[in-house]
Amino acid sequence: MEAVLSAGARVERASIARRLILSPASVVFVLLLAELFWPVPGEAYPAYLLALTAAVELVYLVRLSLVRRDKGVAAAGDVAAIIFGILLAWHLCTTRFVLVDKMLFPKPEPVLRLFVSELPDMLKGLVNSLILLVSGYLIALGTAIPLGLLVGWRVRVFKAVHPFTKVLGPIPPIVYIPYAIALLPSFRAASIFVIFIGAFWPVFINTVNGVFNIHKGLLDSARVLSLSERTLLFRVILPGAMPSICTGATLGLVFALVLLTAAELIGANSGIGWYVKNFADFADYQRVVVGIIFISIVVTVITWGTERLERRLLRWRN
Amino acid sequence: MHEIALHNVTFSYGSQIVLEEINFTAYAGEFVCLLGPSGCGKSTLLRLLAGLGQPTSGRLTLDGSPITGPGLDRGVVFQDYSLFPWMTTGQNVILALNQAFPGKSKAEQAETAQAYLEMVGLSDVFDKLPGALSGGMRQRAAIARAFAINSPVLLMDEPFGALDAITRARLQDLLLQLWQHNSRERKTVFFVTHDVEEAILLANRVVVMGLNPGSVRGVFEVDIPRPRQRQDLYSDPAFTRLRDQLIRELNADVLQELDGGRTVQSAGEAI
Repeated sequence: MEAVLSAGARVERASIARRLILSPASVVFVLLLAELFWPVPGEAYPAYLLALTAAVELVYLVRLSLVRRDKGVAAAGDVAAIIFGILLAWHLCTTRFVLVDKMLFPKPEPVLRLFVSELPDMLKGLVNSLILLVSGYLIALGTAIPLGLLVGWRVRVFKAVHPFTKVLGPIPPIVYIPYAIALLPSFRAASIFVIFIGAFWPVFINTVNGVFNIHKGLLDSARVLSLSERTLLFRVILPGAMPSICTGATLGLVFALVLLTAAELIGANSGIGWYVKNFADFADYQRVVVGIIFISIVVTVITWGTERLERRLLRWRN
Repeated sequence: MHEIALHNVTFSYGSQIVLEEINFTAYAGEFVCLLGPSGCGKSTLLRLLAGLGQPTSGRLTLDGSPITGPGLDRGVVFQDYSLFPWMTTGQNVILALNQAFPGKSKAEQAETAQAYLEMVGLSDVFDKLPGALSGGMRQRAAIARAFAINSPVLLMDEPFGALDAITRARLQDLLLQLWQHNSRERKTVFFVTHDVEEAILLANRVVVMGLNPGSVRGVFEVDIPRPRQRQDLYSDPAFTRLRDQLIRELNADVLQELDGGRTVQSAGEAI
């Protein structure tokens, strides 16, 4: 019995090994390593780049050993391959050969070194940005969801409000920025206001639609149980509208991030958007690229977190 | 006494008359099947009984007092969408129990809910979401919920219409068993169906409804003693006679319309 099992395990291991060696991720990984270890005249060995490559490969291998399903393995491999590909192209175009503008496209190795040394400053800026983002976004959720539920549930309120939402909803929130800065006492208040406006509409409109789209049969079921208004709202209407609310909340978050960066580009003196804008003014494109990479990491983490939350809230749909 | 009476009940959508002059009384503890082609307004009639709508004219009464809205004195099972998909099956039953018996503790409610789920043959679905159950299991759970609130009246709108034949037969037997179980406090049941054999198997009386506009074409007593055995039923001459009679009644107005050269369409289908 044991022999059979271990034989099976061997076969499985062998097939994993074969898949690993032949996968695009491994091919690009080897190419990248070859490129990095092949000395470029006048350049030191790219230690940070090698460390990053090793880290990505390690994460990929760990995922490969944890994820059993073939689909997950293939997806993780493709993502790793794309990252390796970008690093390889970046190194080839800027360091091996100089194919692009030297100033606008800095070399990867100094950018990575700078990323590490700038990290404490950027994290400090991130805290300032997150205070704005979280305040504006939470105020938007806290007002848009209850108002959306009310407007969706009460036909009369909907009819009264609908003409206004039709006019106000599509206004690009960026146009409010100069006015908000002029009107409100501080930059912080103005940014929070603009983020709030930007996130409010998608959440509000999707909440209203979510209530409208609750299946009529479910509402009938709720009515024949003579549920109180409170129970109806919290146990039927809110969860019934939740899929649509989540869609709106995701959209709202994207808007909030865009407006946060836009507001910081215009009036801030710290924060992640300000960082990019500030060093672009000084033509320090190394730091601009560092800032962009940092922002993309932050956005990825935030999106990952909200996706997990959404999956939890909508577990019943699968 | 849980007598339901309909007096001259008419229901229309704008100029479209869906139900016309319905008069009928269901006696306490009686099992009544509303039988009719799709679009004859039988589901509309059930919605009026559930209090989900008001008749255009006429009166519906439960024990003499008018039905003005939904109430826990009437349990309702729909063909689908009876359970809330975001709550576990147990929570679905507990929600109803909380409405019917608000005084009881949480532990008691959970225990009662589990007991009713076991009664319909679902012993291990308490923590499962309705989406994880089969259609038949969902209808079992919906029946458990309707029985848990212990309402004297049960309204069922084609509850087995979307199920396969075997599951449907099992659930018909379950329903009859639950209904007959408590012979002193037997529920008054209104059961909407378009299936002639289902109606005969279940009902004390079958109300046949016709099209254009929806109205009662006849009321037929089912003179077959209970418990009715499915396998014996088909060879029972009383069964075959009644079945032929009901089918003839159902086809009467379709044939009539075909004779007149008109398209056979009901008012209900246009809604």
